[in-house]
Amino acid sequence: MVRSWVLEGELEDTFGEFFVVGQPVKVDLLWREGYKLHPGMLPSFISPSLAQRILRTGKSINFLRVCCDDHGWADAASEAAAASGTTTRRGGLGYGETDALEHLVAEAAKRIDKHLLDVLYKRYKFKEHCLAIKRYLLLGQGDFVQYLMDIVGPKLSEPANNISSFELAGFLEAAIRASNAQYDDRDMLDRLKVKMMPHGSGDRGWDVFSLEYEARAPLDTVFTESVLSKYLRVFNFLWKLKRVEHALIGIWKTMKPNCITSNSFVKLQASVKLQLLSALRRCQVLWNEMNHFVTNFQYYIMFEVLEVSWCNFSKEMEAAKDLDDLLVAHEKYLNFIVGKSLLGEQSQTIRKSLFVLFELILRFRSHADRLYEGIYELQIRTKEPGRERNKTQESSSWISEGRKAITQRAGEFLQSMSQDMDSIAKEYTTSLDAFLSLLPLQQSVDLKFLFFRLDFTEFYSRLHSKGKES
Amino acid sequence: MGFRTGTTGISTTMRTSSLLTTVVVLETTGPVGKGVEEEIMDMIDREADGSDSLEGFVLCHSIAGGTGSGMGSYLLETLNDRYSKKLVQTYSVFPNQMETSDVVVQPYNSLLTLKRLTLNADCVVVLDNTALTRIAVERLHLTNPTFAQTNSLVSTVMSASTTTLRYPGYMNNDLVGLLASLIPTPRCHFLMTGYTPLTVERQANVIRKTTVLDVMRRLLQPKNVMVSSYARNKEASQAKYISILNIIQGEVDPTQVHESLQRIRERKLVNFIEWGPASIQVALSKKSPYVQTAHRVSGLMLASHTSIRHLFSKCLSQYDKLRKKQAFLDNYRKFPMFDNDLSEFDEARDIIESLVDEYKACESPDYIKWGMEDPEQLVTGEGNASGVVDPRMAF
Repeated sequence: MVRSWVLEGELEDTFGEFFVVGQPVKVDLLWREGYKLHPGMLPSFISPSLAQRILRTGKSINFLRVCCDDHGWADAASEAAAASGTTTRRGGLGYGETDALEHLVAEAAKRIDKHLLDVLYKRYKFKEHCLAIKRYLLLGQGDFVQYLMDIVGPKLSEPANNISSFELAGFLEAAIRASNAQYDDRDMLDRLKVKMMPHGSGDRGWDVFSLEYEARAPLDTVFTESVLSKYLRVFNFLWKLKRVEHALIGIWKTMKPNCITSNSFVKLQASVKLQLLSALRRCQVLWNEMNHFVTNFQYYIMFEVLEVSWCNFSKEMEAAKDLDDLLVAHEKYLNFIVGKSLLGEQSQTIRKSLFVLFELILRFRSHADRLYEGIYELQIRTKEPGRERNKTQESSSWISEGRKAITQRAGEFLQSMSQDMDSIAKEYTTSLDAFLSLLPLQQSVDLKFLFFRLDFTEFYSRLHSKGKES
Repeated sequence: MGFRTGTTGISTTMRTSSLLTTVVVLETTGPVGKGVEEEIMDMIDREADGSDSLEGFVLCHSIAGGTGSGMGSYLLETLNDRYSKKLVQTYSVFPNQMETSDVVVQPYNSLLTLKRLTLNADCVVVLDNTALTRIAVERLHLTNPTFAQTNSLVSTVMSASTTTLRYPGYMNNDLVGLLASLIPTPRCHFLMTGYTPLTVERQANVIRKTTVLDVMRRLLQPKNVMVSSYARNKEASQAKYISILNIIQGEVDPTQVHESLQRIRERKLVNFIEWGPASIQVALSKKSPYVQTAHRVSGLMLASHTSIRHLFSKCLSQYDKLRKKQAFLDNYRKFPMFDNDLSEFDEARDIIESLVDEYKACESPDYIKWGMEDPEQLVTGEGNASGVVDPRMAF
């Protein structure tokens, strides 16, 4: 019975005597739940580990047959039989020949396992799919993500009810075509889909948009629904981070060096000029601080989380001897990412304080936009009178009147903007402080790396000790 | 490929000696160069229209000779005007200060170009011919480096600085993303570069063991930096990095990055600004599959460092010397820009001086308040030698 199981995957157990029990399940659960050991039926001369091996070998054959649509296993099986010195003829094993049995199982297991992994790696491109997931769901393909963010961003600010996933799918396709993603395997790109999460009435597009990767048999054994939902969570987190980065880059673009707003205002009154200068400087310095935080957080995610975990996973993938090993390795890989990106159960508080920071940065963006818009307007107004004065000397008194009004309005505008900016800066400092103080409390060592990066020049430690002294 | 930057190669770098000597800057604003301008802008417009998602322009020029400074300045102004939302990045070659140039008006041209670089460019990668020659002589042991050899240094830097754009990864995959973190203060957008290991084409080099730490440490050494420092010792010790990005190419174990950063901090190898948080950013990038290099790992540093102000001070003092003598000004007066007076020169001088001051202010922890005081008591920090800052020019 063991023979036919390990060499052919047949379970002919009419009387329920065999220690492997099969049960009818859906195809994607075949590996995990299709067959079980029945401890009560296990004969004493078969050790538990041997039993496990026997179970796995037969399971592998069935898995190959059912899920992978593969027949190459038969060759592997007959090879195994030949190597163990028996023929596939039934009844070759006598009672008590435990050594021979073990030998047979070992040979069969080795070949079948190897064959199964070969099929998964080569025919079903397991590694390539993992890489594709890393590129798209974990945002490794930066140009694609950037482009997607560019075109999909405005749409996602609308209420979630107004957005059709059909439209979003169009954006996704456009992003693929515009980036290096277009050179990827079509089969993999076809699996990439837009997913709208269930949404409430107040939700914006940002809250519900997400990408998913379709797993087909046999890879759905690895990428089960619960695995995919974990990927989804990681994607949502990274996407949020990208959005914040995108917002910061947007601010930089409005204050970029060669913008007209960066240049001098000759015609403004000295006091307004100082006000303007101070508002701009504050904006820049705050931007620098936020950007420092976001970029370093991203560097942490990239180096300490994504790349490192992928490195380990590739090594384990190569070392994996059977599908169980592979499943464990993949599970470890994914859990590592989830844990380190602060998505685990234990990191709820710190995650919350991180999201507070994100919110603040997004708020800062709209303030900065308004500030620069105002300045731009001011600039146009102060320029025009100047030009007119050259033409018509007599109206100069009227213009100086107008100028006064403009100056006053500018002063008020700048004052209110500065106040807003101050309050954001203050809130930001408190929230960041809270976040930083939570970091050392986390269990993982890697978060200390994050702290190290954020405080590379000891700017925050110095600030902190200064605060204590006073 | 999906390269998102529309690059239009217009003029070539490294022209320290030029045929057009005196009339340079003016050539483009005067009636003489009109035809050429339109032709060139036409070419640029065509390229821009044909780009899928144009992000910006990269301009290569020298600031002292004729074409680079004159045509370059004109292009900068026009691009800034016509494509105000797009980025303009330049690779600007600064003249060799060690030898006398055959372009006698070099200081004038430099000053006028520097004004445009300050106002109309988003990012200027400074390539200093003095340093390039020094590197070729001292580091590569070439007794008489040719332009081809120094040019290959420049092309190495240029190609390395675009690797993260050409092989997109998780971060730094577009030009804005790359530059934004490097330039937190819009005015201070002059970057210097360092590269290691340095080689010139066709020169067999010994293969050295290179780790990430080695690369990062060497990038911080002045001898590998392509801008010479004119700072005196005391000033040099006060100079600070505003930002650093290291682009490391080759097969690198990502875990090494953190270790290297830790070592660098332990040994206090870098001086950063004190008015805000800062850190060394590291980007890992693939190597071109088409180019065979002997080195397993190579690195490029892009950094904003306050010591660059000494290079500008040097340009200012050279200009002052010439201007005092009223030398060679007649040729400039022939052109409409200088019709009435030479105020264009004075304005340019003021702008460069305020730039120098802003860099200096960045060295102090009180940068945030710099320029906010009343003009009467504007002297900031320790011994402001260059005098009063004009608030009008302060940003």
